[in-house]
Amino acid sequence: MMARCKALLGTFVEISIDQDDSQAADKAFAAVKQVQDLMGFHNPLSELTQINRWAHQVSLEIHPWTAEVIRIAQEIHQQSNGLFNCGIGHRLVSAGLLPRHIDLSRHKLGGIEDIYFLDSQLITSNKPICLDLGGIAKGFAVDKAVESLISSGIESGCVNAGGDLRVFGDTLRSVQIRNPSLPNQLIDIGSLQNGAIATSGLYFSHRDQEQSHIINPFAQNESEVHLNFSDSYSILANECVYADALTKVLALSAGHTHPCFHYFSAQAIRIAA
Amino acid sequence: MNWKPNPFAIVGLAMVSAPIIAHARIYVTAEQVQKILLPHKQLNQAPIIISEDLQEKMRVASSIRHPFRGDRIWKASDGSWLIIDEVIGKHEMITYAVAINPNGSVLGLEILEYVESYGYEVAEAGWRKQFVGKTVHDPIKLNQDIQNIGGATLSCKHITDGVKRVAVLYDLALKTK
Repeated sequence: MMARCKALLGTFVEISIDQDDSQAADKAFAAVKQVQDLMGFHNPLSELTQINRWAHQVSLEIHPWTAEVIRIAQEIHQQSNGLFNCGIGHRLVSAGLLPRHIDLSRHKLGGIEDIYFLDSQLITSNKPICLDLGGIAKGFAVDKAVESLISSGIESGCVNAGGDLRVFGDTLRSVQIRNPSLPNQLIDIGSLQNGAIATSGLYFSHRDQEQSHIINPFAQNESEVHLNFSDSYSILANECVYADALTKVLALSAGHTHPCFHYFSAQAIRIAA
Repeated sequence: MNWKPNPFAIVGLAMVSAPIIAHARIYVTAEQVQKILLPHKQLNQAPIIISEDLQEKMRVASSIRHPFRGDRIWKASDGSWLIIDEVIGKHEMITYAVAINPNGSVLGLEILEYVESYGYEVAEAGWRKQFVGKTVHDPIKLNQDIQNIGGATLSCKHITDGVKRVAVLYDLALKTK
C-alpha cells in the first residue's frame, strides 16, 4: 500500500494504491499534469488559452484529451438545458478568481455551444469565447490518472483531486464528506466501489473571503452572476468527469434532482449546512 | 458503480454520532522522497546556517513568516539539490520537498505530510511536534484509517509561496556552493 500527493490543478492530488509501485503513481501524476498543461486557465501557453484567443478567428487542431473534455462539456450543457456552461471564464476573471490574459471586454461572448468540431480534433467557434474548464477538467484528470494506474497493472486504488475522487478495483471504500458547517469534520456518507464522487461547496471560499466560483450562466445582471449557498452538493457517477461537472448543475438547481442526473446514471447528495 | 450509503448519514445522524476532526496525512518520509524525486542519485546532507539577512529575504519573497530550517538540505554530486520545508497556513501545515536541477530549475515537488486543523492548533509548536518524525507506518493519529475525503476543493496556493522561498534560498545560498 502506498499514498503519494502532489500539488496540481491548483489543489492537492492524492493517489493511494494497494501495491507499492512508485512508477505507476508517477505516470498517473504525469497524466494529471498533462491535463493541467493543456487545460489550465492560469497558463498563458495552455491549449485552453489558445482556444480562447483564436477559436473565433481560425480553426484549431487540439489534443484528443481537450477535444474529449469539450465534447463532454457540450453533452452536459445540452442535457442540463444550459445550466452547465464552461463559457463563463470572463466572470471568474472579473471576480479576480482567474488571471486576465486576454482582454475580451469589448466582445459579446458566446458559450460552449458556439464551439463546433470540423473534425475529431479540429475546432472553431462562432463567437469569441472565454472558456474555463475548471468545473470539469479536475474530474477528467482524475479519470485519466485512474486509467493510467489500471494500464500500469494496479488493481485497486483511489485518486483524489482535492475532494473530487474516484475509486477503482474490488475494494469497497468508505467515503467521508466534509460537513459544510464545520469543514474540519467529516461525515461518513457510505462506501463506494468502482465509482466517483465530486462535491461543490463554498465553505472554503467563504473562509478565505473569496467570491463564489459557481457562476449562473443565465445571469442577466451582475448581482445574479455568483451563486451563493451554504449547503454542500455531491454527485456520484461512474466517471469523475461527470461527477465533477454535474455538481454545478445540482448547485444551480438548488439541490433539486435534475432529469440529466438519470441520463448520466448519476446520484445527487445534498448535505444541509 | 457500487454505492452503499451509510443509513445514519441519510437520516443526518452520522455527524452527530461521530464527529471526526483533525486530519494528518503522512504520504512519504524524507528518505522516500529522495528516491522519488532524485532516483539513482547519491545524496549527501548539506545543512546550512541561515543568517538573519537570508531569513528576511526569504520572508519578503514568499510572505511566509515562520523561519526556514537549514538542516534539511541534501546535495547530489551532479549539483542537484533536495530541500524539505514546511508551509504553515491558518488552517494547515504542509511539509513538502523540492528537487532542483543542477541548472537551478525545479525538477519536482512532492508533498510529504498534510496536517489540517484549526488555526490556533497549527500555530502552536507543541501541537506540530507530535507529527515530527512519524512515518506512514506509525499508527499516529486520530482516524488513521480514513482514506477518502470528499468536499469542496482545497487550494494549494500556500505551496506556491513555499516554492518561492526555496527558489530564493537556492539563488542566494546554494547556487554558489
